[in-house]
Amino acid sequence: MAIADRKREGIPIAGGELPEILLPSNCPGCGIGLDLELLRSQNYVCDCGHHFRLGADVWIPIIADDGSFQERWAGIRSHDLLTWTVPKRYEEVVDELLSEGLNESVRTGTCTLDGRPIWLAAFDFGFVGGTLSIVAGERLARGMEQAASARIPYILVAASGGARMQEGVLALMQMAKVNAAVGALHAARVPYFSVLTDPTFGGTAASLALLADINIAEPGAAIGFTGPRVIKQATYADLPQGFQSADFQLAHGQVDMVASRTELRPLLAHLLELYSN
Amino acid sequence: MSVWETVELARHPERPYALDYVKRLAPDFIELHGDRLSADDPALVAGVGRWHGRTTMFLGHQKGRSLKERVARNWGMMHPEGYRKAIRLAQHAAKFGFPIISLIDTPGAYPGAGAEERGIASAIATAIMEWFRIPVPIVAAVIGEGGSGGALGMGVADRVIMLENSIYSVASPEAAASIVWRDNSRKVEAAEQLQLTSREILAMGVVEEVVPEPAGSARTDYDAAAAALDAALVRHMQPLLEQSTEDLLQHRYERFRYIDSLIKAEPDFGPKVN
Repeated sequence: MAIADRKREGIPIAGGELPEILLPSNCPGCGIGLDLELLRSQNYVCDCGHHFRLGADVWIPIIADDGSFQERWAGIRSHDLLTWTVPKRYEEVVDELLSEGLNESVRTGTCTLDGRPIWLAAFDFGFVGGTLSIVAGERLARGMEQAASARIPYILVAASGGARMQEGVLALMQMAKVNAAVGALHAARVPYFSVLTDPTFGGTAASLALLADINIAEPGAAIGFTGPRVIKQATYADLPQGFQSADFQLAHGQVDMVASRTELRPLLAHLLELYSN
Repeated sequence: MSVWETVELARHPERPYALDYVKRLAPDFIELHGDRLSADDPALVAGVGRWHGRTTMFLGHQKGRSLKERVARNWGMMHPEGYRKAIRLAQHAAKFGFPIISLIDTPGAYPGAGAEERGIASAIATAIMEWFRIPVPIVAAVIGEGGSGGALGMGVADRVIMLENSIYSVASPEAAASIVWRDNSRKVEAAEQLQLTSREILAMGVVEEVVPEPAGSARTDYDAAAAALDAALVRHMQPLLEQSTEDLLQHRYERFRYIDSLIKAEPDFGPKVN
């Protein structure tokens, strides 16, 4: 057994019990009928290796020790700043998503992972495509500033289409706002680990998601700046198989490793230990 | 003037480009090239020149005038190498204490496969983060199109100003239409929703000043447009040159950290400018 495996022995792959999620009847990866309970027990990873997309409500109990998560700034919400009406009023879009139990594209707070205190932020792709908004930027920047001053490691789970169109240039400015805070985190020499999940694109990839000390991509995750549809539209290029996949980003030097979600939590615990002196 | 007419004016092929301004601001400008890693990005011009008695680093997107030049300069759309070049030269400027002027005029970063392969996302991310550590004054001016992360990658500065008929947007109207409706032909509607004109951006508190252009817009009188830009740049640069480095970097951090503070102060605030 490798040394790394010994260190990770006994660390459960999830910190707590995961909520049930809506799943198709068959796996899009292998086509086999899904056993929901089995999937839940393996962090929603199919035996074939297909990683299902998860919301922040599932990511938090995967990473955080059971019951340790203290959510912060959950009460701030987005408003319609630009009188955005198409294809639907932005205020209505936000109201609906909030009433469905989602709480913006980023949720954050403190918790422990294998007993070690961390700051955790998880994107939620279900909230306007996990887009970077003023509220998301504020939650991220505040948490990073607190992590920097308290010298607590910061863990990010990214899943985002980029900046939120409906908040206009102020959404774009969130890239600078969070990167200023990432800089503060680095200046304080606080470890920052980023988990890039499917999909991570645009302004989120081009800001905090790829700026961690260690970037970890999930197998099969699509990661890039410009989405493949727009690249094809703009350049008429045929994109090769696997373009912008996690393995592609590994080969092109953008991530440190590709790690399965079933190994992620023990891996993070191991990294926290290695980076704790 | 309709919003779309403003977009067209900001993109007008006869509009002055970065080099048209730089040659007027610093006639002794010397261009510098390369990211020192692998390439030079012609979509970004960079170099040093004397400006109001002080050696200054100029950086600017350059679109190119003729078709041949437009192809060579990739329509002002930077590749990863451009952002790495910008940060190299910003650090170079910091070494010698040169203030930096960044002229923004891009539809966005290059949306091509090669840029993805060479890490455009992390190049922009790193540039945005690094700008916060450059210990010399930086003034950025949007002179035409301020498109998306490609513009912001050159737009982290102590002061940001905009020429009257320029635009600044989270995405180009075409890209926004493609994202919202999956149909980039609805660009006019998207432009109207995005609130991307200089007056709207000023109302949101994202830029410090809108610089008036000559009657008939900057393209009708390059000298007058350059003189107006020059006066505004001086006005913003002067107080920065007197600040301690510590204050400068702290204020730059706060400028972006609280850039949406108008919104937070008043939840109902919306830059609904007619």
